[in-house]
Amino acid sequence: MTDERADAEGAGLLRALGQVAPPAPGVLEAAREALWSAVAEEMLSAGQTGPAGGAGRARAAGTDRSRDGTERRRTEPGP
Amino acid sequence: MDTDGALIERSVRGRPDAFVEVVRRHEVAVHGFLARRAGGQAADDLLGEVWVRAFAARGGYDPGHADARPWLYGIARNVLRACWRARRDTGPAAAEEAVDPWDDVVDRLDSAARARLLAAAVAALPAAEREALLLVAWEQLTPAEAAAALGVPQGTVRSRLHRARSALRPVLAPIPESAEEKK
Repeated sequence: MTDERADAEGAGLLRALGQVAPPAPGVLEAAREALWSAVAEEMLSAGQTGPAGGAGRARAAGTDRSRDGTERRRTEPGP
Repeated sequence: MDTDGALIERSVRGRPDAFVEVVRRHEVAVHGFLARRAGGQAADDLLGEVWVRAFAARGGYDPGHADARPWLYGIARNVLRACWRARRDTGPAAAEEAVDPWDDVVDRLDSAARARLLAAAVAALPAAEREALLLVAWEQLTPAEAAAALGVPQGTVRSRLHRARSALRPVLAPIPESAEEKK
């Protein structure tokens, strides 16, 4: 076997060894949530409200709503 | 379409949300990078940490680099190493071999005889050679991109690739021919 052929075959076998299942539904979105928290924090600290009409504004607003929701739950009477 | 470099530069200059598009482009690839080295569950757990670290470090990205994948692999590699160090409780001064995850990878490999032989040969490679080889074979990076991911000169990666391929060639020799040679 020539070196080139061995390298080509080796590359093919290695690629096969490296095959993994794609991420399960929701995994990528969950990871992006962590990023969005950092993005929202930076935008808020810079006094930004996000790009007009963009996803950033929707997310920043969503973050605020979540925070408001948490605050509302805190005011709810306990059992 | 904007390059990754342009998006990252924009994210630094007042539009941090532009970074999310970079993540969308490469999230499947980076998840695969993590899964191949640490398993699917660990990849699920660590992916968000990679994005947060990359976002925090984006000010140091050279926007002249159109493709952010090598840079993101480098960050994912650091996140993996930190995770392995924490799991094995070896302390920050541990040698690279102390956080080598290859045993875990071998466990997940196909049981076919040739694949096992190849896996064993890859496992026997020095960690630095193995990393260079797998960045090229698994992540489809060029040697130059692998060098960027590893933070070493291109020539170093090329040397490591050459040594790794040379070490693997005997394993790839056809089995029937080997049997003939013994006669």
